[in-house]
Amino acid sequence: MTPVSVSLTVNDAVRRVDAKPETPLLYILRNDLALNGPKYGCGLGECGACAVLVDNRPVRSCTVPLGAVGTRRVTTLEGLAVDGVPHPVQRAFIEEAAAQCGYCLNGMIIAIVGLLARNSDPSENDIREALRHHLCRCGTHMEILAAARRAVSYARTDRDAAPAPVDKTEVSP
Amino acid sequence: MTVHRETPKSSYMAAADTLLIVSDITRGQDAELYIAIGPNGRVTAFNGHVDLGTGIRTSLAQIVAEELCIPFEQVEMVLGATSAAPNQGATIASETIQITAVPLRLAAATARHHLLAKASARTGVALDQLLVEDGIVRASTGENWTLTFAELVAGEHVRLSINVDAALKPASAYTLVGSSRPRVDIPAKATGQWTYVHDVRVPGMLHGRVVRPPYAGFDHGDHVGNSLISIDESSVADIDGLVGVIAIGDFVGVVATREEIAIEAAKSLKVVWRDPPQRPDLNAPEAALRANPATARKLADRGNVDLALAGSAQPMDRTYVWPYQMHASIGPSCAVADYRDDGLTVWSGTQNPFPMRRDLALLLDMPEDMILVERLEAAGCYGRNCADDVTADAALLSRAVKAPVRVQLSREQEHAWEPKGAAQIMDVRGGLDLEGGPSAYDFETRYPSNLAPTLPLILTGKVPPVSDVVQMGDRTAIPPYAYGNLRVTVHDMPPIARASWFRGVSAMPNTFAHECYVDELAAAAGVDPIEYRLRYLADPRAVDLVKALAERAKWVPHTKWGTLGGEGDLLYGRGFAYAVYIHGPFPGKAAAWAAWVADVAVNTKTGEIAVTKVTCAQDSGMMINPDGVRHQIHGNIIQSTSRVLKEKVEFSSTAVTSKEWGGYSLITFPEVPDIDVLMVPRQDEPPLGVGESASVPSASAIANAVYDATGIRFRELPLTPELVLAALNGNKNEPSPAAPAKKRGWWKFGLSAAGAVAAVSGIVTMSSPWRSAIATIPRPDTNVYSAATIERGRLAAAAGACNVCHVGPDGTPFAGGRRFDTPFGAVYATNITPDMENGIGAWSYPAFERAMREGVSRDGHHLYPAHPYTSFAGAEDADLQALYAYMMTQTPVAEQAPETALKFPYNIRSMMAGWNALFLKNEPFRYTETRTAEWNRGAYLVETLGHCSACHTERNALGAEKSGQARLSGGFADGWEAPALNSLAKGPVGWTADAFYDYLRTGHSRDHGSAAGPMAHVVEVMQPLPDTDIRAMATYLASLNDGNAPEAIAAQKEAAIAASETAKAEAARVSPKGERIFNGACATCHQGNTVLSSLALNSNLHAETPDNILQVILNGVEAPAILAETTGREAPEVMSMPAFRETLNETQIKDLAAYLRARFAPDKAAWTDTSSAMQRVVSSAH
Repeated sequence: MTPVSVSLTVNDAVRRVDAKPETPLLYILRNDLALNGPKYGCGLGECGACAVLVDNRPVRSCTVPLGAVGTRRVTTLEGLAVDGVPHPVQRAFIEEAAAQCGYCLNGMIIAIVGLLARNSDPSENDIREALRHHLCRCGTHMEILAAARRAVSYARTDRDAAPAPVDKTEVSP
Repeated sequence: MTVHRETPKSSYMAAADTLLIVSDITRGQDAELYIAIGPNGRVTAFNGHVDLGTGIRTSLAQIVAEELCIPFEQVEMVLGATSAAPNQGATIASETIQITAVPLRLAAATARHHLLAKASARTGVALDQLLVEDGIVRASTGENWTLTFAELVAGEHVRLSINVDAALKPASAYTLVGSSRPRVDIPAKATGQWTYVHDVRVPGMLHGRVVRPPYAGFDHGDHVGNSLISIDESSVADIDGLVGVIAIGDFVGVVATREEIAIEAAKSLKVVWRDPPQRPDLNAPEAALRANPATARKLADRGNVDLALAGSAQPMDRTYVWPYQMHASIGPSCAVADYRDDGLTVWSGTQNPFPMRRDLALLLDMPEDMILVERLEAAGCYGRNCADDVTADAALLSRAVKAPVRVQLSREQEHAWEPKGAAQIMDVRGGLDLEGGPSAYDFETRYPSNLAPTLPLILTGKVPPVSDVVQMGDRTAIPPYAYGNLRVTVHDMPPIARASWFRGVSAMPNTFAHECYVDELAAAAGVDPIEYRLRYLADPRAVDLVKALAERAKWVPHTKWGTLGGEGDLLYGRGFAYAVYIHGPFPGKAAAWAAWVADVAVNTKTGEIAVTKVTCAQDSGMMINPDGVRHQIHGNIIQSTSRVLKEKVEFSSTAVTSKEWGGYSLITFPEVPDIDVLMVPRQDEPPLGVGESASVPSASAIANAVYDATGIRFRELPLTPELVLAALNGNKNEPSPAAPAKKRGWWKFGLSAAGAVAAVSGIVTMSSPWRSAIATIPRPDTNVYSAATIERGRLAAAAGACNVCHVGPDGTPFAGGRRFDTPFGAVYATNITPDMENGIGAWSYPAFERAMREGVSRDGHHLYPAHPYTSFAGAEDADLQALYAYMMTQTPVAEQAPETALKFPYNIRSMMAGWNALFLKNEPFRYTETRTAEWNRGAYLVETLGHCSACHTERNALGAEKSGQARLSGGFADGWEAPALNSLAKGPVGWTADAFYDYLRTGHSRDHGSAAGPMAHVVEVMQPLPDTDIRAMATYLASLNDGNAPEAIAAQKEAAIAASETAKAEAARVSPKGERIFNGACATCHQGNTVLSSLALNSNLHAETPDNILQVILNGVEAPAILAETTGREAPEVMSMPAFRETLNETQIKDLAAYLRARFAPDKAAWTDTSSAMQRVVSSAH
């Protein structure tokens, strides 16, 4: 197919790129938008190094054609921080030193952010299943699991700290 | 742009206000730089080794900061850049902390002494009364002054040689070394701010890809560099953005403006290679290694081995087999090169910046000092991967196109070409003496060499592809036990597959033999395995370690296997192993001591081994960064467990075939064992390498644990379920029962040509074969048609999916030219645009209608029933008239589609008259009054314009749709099976009107799967049809299926999914390799995924032939979202299924198909015609 001009919402900004619609999103993010978080690992959706969030769901950007993104919101590792403050999941990974070479780290963090988006209190089994198809060659699994547990505890604290929803029927006029 | 350039050494040499510590000041500018302290007090320290993900950047900075007495944050490490760092060789053998950090520490001490002396001179305070802390010098006498390092450095450029006798800080005074400093690189890595070599961007950078020869993974022999026959550049001539195609010998590469264009060009480029030579079978490497010419090298010979062997009370001769394994970096290698007339700069993830620079100089005929290697981190490699190869690739491509080029290897290339960790064979002859002691230990090890030359050097013919022999099979070849009669022989031999060092090089296999064998001796002697070892272990630190581990793991001494029992299908076992990793040239140096207790659970039904817990003790000497050491131990345990249980490179007779993570699988999170680490405190001892030690005992500890559970000794790796099951079952697996006869595609009927002629010619006489031409007309004026008519025609074209077949090769609507392979030959779709010469512009409506209803072209020749006129015959006049009007409004295309030319006798078109007499019922569609208007509308669309039967009905020997029960009961089209649309559908879940609607409207039904192949195009072109028409078709099609009540559907779904879960173990038994490929390559989207439905529901897995499954595996499937988008609907899945055509080979795909069938359609017989289906599918691609 011939190149088309496509606008994408990446990390809350609308970006315009010219590329063929079948181009994997990964190359658009890395080469056109200079985002280094997602990494090329296999191009087959197997290893998870290229994971990004599309509408808060973790997907493998190497298998997402540009033409399939449409108006969905794409979030990369770079887009998780708010005002330069790392996302709690990133913080958990930093605090647990959950990287050796760090090449797979992007996918691990995105997977845990995605897990917490759909399950705010995941079990150990949920965590391991969410990471099942994220490969790490360095054997950083222990530290990554510790980071994931820490991230879950942060999410739990945040949830507990949030004000309880107000039941309006109880509010006296 | 992310351009990473280290400040070159020359800048430091020229800087004012700087203190430099160099190797030898008399060498002037050539001296090697170790420490630079600038006027701001910042310390830059240089090391020739690189960080391979182990965190040495942090540990080295700790050493420097400690010795200088400055804050850790004040030190920055420069690692491996040839422009600045000292040449300290390759980063291998756990040497960085143990060896290459030594001069760095001395340099820091030299600097500290110099600065203190300077402070003393400046203040008059005696040296021994000066204190330095956090980079600030003061007097111990309490005088009121301080001097910072910055102040002491300012004002002059001082250059000193390293003082090898400089007094080092005593370990007792350490505050930084021995503390767990957080790694300096992780915050940036966790936020996407770190620059890996993959992230380097240089202004004007182009993207390159290489095309490798077919002898994947082999690098010696006359054919290497000599196999390219031709390159057809016209095959990529139409790719916009392609900059160049480069070929030198067997080196082939492409360069393009964008990465995806380079990928497309590399895939499309037609390259013809000579057939690669046959190789010995490396899947079972023992025979190949024994046959490989070798030179025996005796490393030890004490006592009288031959006499002792002859006198053994209980002789035990054993052989241990280690497979080829791969480094398996998660990121395939990548590099950027910028070649200019005045020199070359490369950005590389190399493990060996300086040796690689030498190779680049040789490759490019360029002096070494014109080459700059910027070393950036890459994905962890644990040995040498393709980092050097790809750097040389990039250099060649940059030189050719005169611009900076980034080359990224594909996953397949990294897997296939990375120099492997070599296979190894260990033989032990020995046994027990009369007292139960070891009578003798006669150990022989065979290790194929690992000096793989940088690939482009041999591909281009710059270096002859000969195989050097290197002496690297001797690591830890001497057993740690005091065997009185000991002989150790290493057989040095040339490589077989391309190989390099891999974590625990040769030591891991050698220890596998040593530690399994001593375990066997203990069992034979009736002694607890740890007690037996301790009898012969002399090294006191080893003894301490083993005892400490036994206590930590709560080891219960035992003399028989099976003491831990089991439950259900599980047997439990515990195994022990110990090693001190001896690295470097023989006799080598010891790195850290390590010992394992592994706990396993062996599933006797599936053969799966779960390593449930590893307790590991390690004596690392002084630990610079204890957390870093702990992480290395964790990493070693997990990686080596993966290697022992799962990892083995597979080969065809000519090349590596493991090219992705299903064919070469790694351990996953659910399989990771619990780990308990005991780090023996030895902060008063010299530091030892910790990068590899904890891997070394792994295989033997796990194998010994499996013995403890099952009583079976495994002496080859990996310990796959099929290996374990075969041993448990005494190797008596029955072959799976044969499946019943298969259904055949309509073209497969072996009707002889003569028979066909006879059958057809018998009819010719009964009908008129010759039809008259209908006169041409000027192209109709489309203004005479109302907008409503044209719109109706547009919808008729959508319902008829005309453009699925008549689309032009470049996507131009209705231009024709698509080829369809039929048993009678290739049929080409015609140009149906209103072009006067090549299309139907000169056709009157009667000519058009005759073609549509009777299959006769305007000029009177018969059309073949690939054109579904038998269906169109029943269409309403108004629809055909509107369709004619619509077609006449299309843009004429002046391209002639290829002529259909069938084989004799089918090329006699007049015979079609007889065919029509038999099979064409030219009558209007009959409405059924007892049915609703919706049903009738649906029936009309399905049976006439939609011509669903053309694909979904089997054809007879003459290519006509069968009637009666066969109607819509499934057929074949364009290499795909078109499944039954009626109650004969094979899927486990019945079709409802809603399911048909979803499928036809969005291309996806949750209970059945996604449209792919030709059907995806049909869904796409039906997009203009209103929902009411799609709904009507769905209602009609549902009526062909027996009543499918919602409760029944739900029950069917549940049952199918449950059956696929139950079938897991059996499917793994049927096809263990298929299971691994499924888990590695498919399960990420097809298992436990909340978006795609279970494959157990997918019609194709329940079909009688595997054609559609093979189609999707080979060619991939577009994301459901793409198809849904064309219909204006949402679908949640944005990921496409990738094509595995270039990745999996035929054997792997067959294994996978067998697994998929057994797992997801367990009630169906195994497919038996996968090979012929594969041929059909591959030949259908055009």
